[in-house]
Amino acid sequence: MALFRLIGTGGVIAYRALFNWTTPAMFIGSLLVGPIFQLLFFAYLGRQLGVADDRFYIVGNAVLAASLSCVFGGTMAVANERRFGTLGHVLLSPRSRTAVFLGRVLPYAGNGLLIAVSTLTVGALLLGLRVPPEALPALLATLAVAALSCGFFGLTLGALGLRFRDVWVVSNVSVALLLLLTGVNVPAAELPGWMRAVGEGMPITHAAGAARRLVAGEGFAAAAPALAAEAAVGLGYALLAALLLRVFEAESRRRASLDTM
Amino acid sequence: MSLLRMIGVGALLHTKQLSRSPFEIATALIVPVVQATLAVHLFRAGGEPGRLLEAAVGAGLMGVWSSVLFGSGGAIQNQRWQGTLEMLMLAPRPPALVIFPITLSTAVTGTYAMLATLLWGRLLYGVPLTFAHPLLFLVAAPGCVLGLGMFGLLLASTFVLMRNANALANTLEYPIWLVSGMLVPLTVLPGWTGPIAAALPTTWGARAVHEAASGGPVWPSLGICLAISLGCLASGALMMTYVERRARAAATLALA
Repeated sequence: MALFRLIGTGGVIAYRALFNWTTPAMFIGSLLVGPIFQLLFFAYLGRQLGVADDRFYIVGNAVLAASLSCVFGGTMAVANERRFGTLGHVLLSPRSRTAVFLGRVLPYAGNGLLIAVSTLTVGALLLGLRVPPEALPALLATLAVAALSCGFFGLTLGALGLRFRDVWVVSNVSVALLLLLTGVNVPAAELPGWMRAVGEGMPITHAAGAARRLVAGEGFAAAAPALAAEAAVGLGYALLAALLLRVFEAESRRRASLDTM
Repeated sequence: MSLLRMIGVGALLHTKQLSRSPFEIATALIVPVVQATLAVHLFRAGGEPGRLLEAAVGAGLMGVWSSVLFGSGGAIQNQRWQGTLEMLMLAPRPPALVIFPITLSTAVTGTYAMLATLLWGRLLYGVPLTFAHPLLFLVAAPGCVLGLGMFGLLLASTFVLMRNANALANTLEYPIWLVSGMLVPLTVLPGWTGPIAAALPTTWGARAVHEAASGGPVWPSLGICLAISLGCLASGALMMTYVERRARAAATLALA
């Protein structure tokens, strides 16, 4: 119980502390409106080139919408502690730092889920997509798994922040790579084999496939394998993040490089 | 002459400073290349291999805009964080003239994006760099950069009123890409976006560069881009003076 409290309450407190720069207007403008324009950009481009229909872009970009806040949030969960000068205090804690950091992903994943749902709803209303009502619970679960997966991916990048100074470069490039490699905007069949292979190991890829099946009315059974693959990718990043955090924490203590900016 | 020299030296100084930042370089080089790759694959998937130059140029323009948007949006905040804002505001020149070289340098840094996407397209995808008006391209691209630099001053002066301008800049990236026709032709957008597009210097700058690459009358578009940008520069200068006086009166210049 104490562990769950540490994960839950600790995550929420850290979210409020590290996400303190935003205001409601900023949140709506940056995190809710921005992804809608991203969706419209690719939908119109796809329409003009005749690459895929609106459904492809609405669903894909709605899943992708979770990534921005989750990847940057996961990175912030570690990197901003260093920036604000509080990382040492966290690492001095007698409790499990792995649990502390993994718990921080949860509020950001919740945030990402809210953004994905909002983007899907507005995108569907603006471009006229009908989602089968019976698909909604599974679709919500898919978006939640995608958000968690992105959050753990972000935490993995954040763990690099214990070792490298310019971790935001890595985050920016990673978010751009998610656009390219996950098959959200370019159908996977049109990408070279190595790009598809890299995409298979990134968050979003499988969730987008599952969400597209659900919206097409193929049912949960058809989407389940892709959803399971997305969950496996997310779990993989969670384990990788936990490992990197432990290794880099130990190394930063050994090299006395904890607060190096 | 001293005015031009001041702007030139200031822009050079800030460009040098930006060019030492791994974050700025990586963002200006790698992200546009990823976007160019995305555009190339999308155009190929759409059966438009003849328009790959358009895709590379469009992705480069997107990179220039991102650089201006985030650079100008964060221009004041960055100076504040570095502890140099007070010294800039104490300079015996109008504040707009001191900040303008910073916004111009963000646009100049953004040209890395254009060069990177063109080289990437040529080397990796064999995109033929056969410009319809090669010499005019060399005029249109810097003209577009100058125009966006002037537009950047208006952004900088507006964003200075906001505590976290970078977060707001996130919101403005895709809408301007979309409405300015940098990659998506304006003809496929809803009709109501037309007047918005026509009022933006980015639309005319992008059109001038695309026309230089693919064919069309470059000068009118470039002229309109620079005319609107001059209007933005004047508005930005007025706003910057107002903001500076307000910050001095309220003693909030150094407050984040």
